[in-house]
Amino acid sequence: MESSIGFLWNALETSIRLIFSFDGEVYGIVLRSLGFSLSATVVAVLFGVPVGFLIGSKRFRGRSAVITILNTAMALPTVVVGLIGYSFLSRSAPLGFLNLMFSPKAVILGEFLLSLPIITNLTAAAVQSVHPAAIATARTLGAGRFQTTWTILMEARFALVAAIVVGYGRAVSEVGSAMMLGGNIRFYTRTMTTAIALETSKGEFGLGLALGFFLLLVVLSVNILFHYFQVRGRTG
Amino acid sequence: MSILELRDITHIYNRTEVLGISALSIEKGEIYAIVGPNGSGKTTLLSIMSLGLRPSHGKIYFEGHPIRYDTKSLMAVRRSVTMVLQTPYLFNTSVAKNVAYGLRARGVPKKDLDKRVMEALEWVGLDGFGKRKARELSGGETQLVALARALVLNPALLFLDEPTANVDARHVHLFEGIISRINKERGTTVVMTTHNLSQAYRLTERVFSLFEGSLVTSSMHNLFSGKVLLTEEGPCFDTGAIRIWIPPGSESVEATHVTINPENIIASGEPFASSARNQFQGIITEIIDQGGRILLKVRSQEIFGLQITHHSLRNMRLTVGSRVYLTFKASSVQLL
Repeated sequence: MESSIGFLWNALETSIRLIFSFDGEVYGIVLRSLGFSLSATVVAVLFGVPVGFLIGSKRFRGRSAVITILNTAMALPTVVVGLIGYSFLSRSAPLGFLNLMFSPKAVILGEFLLSLPIITNLTAAAVQSVHPAAIATARTLGAGRFQTTWTILMEARFALVAAIVVGYGRAVSEVGSAMMLGGNIRFYTRTMTTAIALETSKGEFGLGLALGFFLLLVVLSVNILFHYFQVRGRTG
Repeated sequence: MSILELRDITHIYNRTEVLGISALSIEKGEIYAIVGPNGSGKTTLLSIMSLGLRPSHGKIYFEGHPIRYDTKSLMAVRRSVTMVLQTPYLFNTSVAKNVAYGLRARGVPKKDLDKRVMEALEWVGLDGFGKRKARELSGGETQLVALARALVLNPALLFLDEPTANVDARHVHLFEGIISRINKERGTTVVMTTHNLSQAYRLTERVFSLFEGSLVTSSMHNLFSGKVLLTEEGPCFDTGAIRIWIPPGSESVEATHVTINPENIIASGEPFASSARNQFQGIITEIIDQGGRILLKVRSQEIFGLQITHHSLRNMRLTVGSRVYLTFKASSVQLL
């Protein structure tokens, strides 16, 4: 009992030392992780917001099927995304010639595939929640198509930001695809989650714990931001 | 000169004709009120006139030119007309940005824009409200911001859908004052819908009545619902509260409503000796000066509206609360 408490205490001591000594490897992993997720989210926003806008604002055949697929994709296990990515990017796969496997781009691609359905789906929901009178009002005031679209996006801005924040949260906290597509290569594709998995399995619990603190901090920030934008969206 | 003309307009919704207007002309610089009960097609008509809705059939002419429903020509006309919705939608931003919206859409430079926004807010008595959050305003203030947002565009034609339906009495008075003022000072043509006939007549003499999607000749003052009954003394219309004698031969009509033109009802202090079969006694509840004529509202078992001259009002010494007798012929009753 005493030794298990000692083990935890030692790990905690190590993690605090690593954080406050500004350990290069720990901070490198954190920054790389945040950077990968940010890149993945930016690309997902570029694709997801316009597609989500169309789904949310237009009525077309097969719309409900698209929404069902997106809902399913939102809950896609990360290892499945890793598996799909692997089947396309590995050396003998159709896109193997691109040499993306075990590179930062592969990690970003995996995180992009995970956050894309979330951002698309939540954008569609955000756009759909804008009162139809907003469109009628914009038109009666002489707005053209582009201005009307911009107005809808602005009316849904808090929900949109919340969608992006959730997408980022999904990207930063996933482990399966980053492990399978990035390979957890030190100083290259190692992210917070893959490092935690590796270091813990090696018995380096202190490093895992230090990264865990950062990951918790990020996830907590994401949730606080999400809640903030949700409340702003309701109250204006 | 007419600014807007509707010819042979019909609108079909769910395979049912909800609007049928053979001809309607809106003259420049006038105020028009469209009155009618809920579901009579007022909002549909206004949406069609403001080009927010394309009619199923018929033509609309704006300043003599037929409307073509392509984006370019619609945009051109929409820049000259605007509409304030019954429940206005204010964008989730400041009052000033809401008022500036249409000006931004028209590419008005920032310097002019700020000045015009301030002027528009002054027009509606909301100067100093610019920085307030639009979503935190009261119902009356919301309506006024929506009106300012329309007025700032200085439209040639302004459509108001039930502008005072959701506001308190103080704001109703303010609203009516603004509508009259913009019409007089700017020459803005105003077309508004209302279910409040008194309000319609306070603002204009050009009042259209809409009933089940059609313009009807008589006013909606005396519109009663009920059913036709055949009695030994002849056909009558039973409203549930009163029986109104209707012209012989009309008993076969499957009418659910009747209306009586207020001009055809005679008011007298004593029972009026006449061959007219319909006679009711009531109390005056409202006296509305319509300029040339006086509109009396009389509460009997039903509420009646009738028009008399200023001379008659003085001679009969009628005031709110006076008891009067109402007389009208069966032939004055129009079955709908």
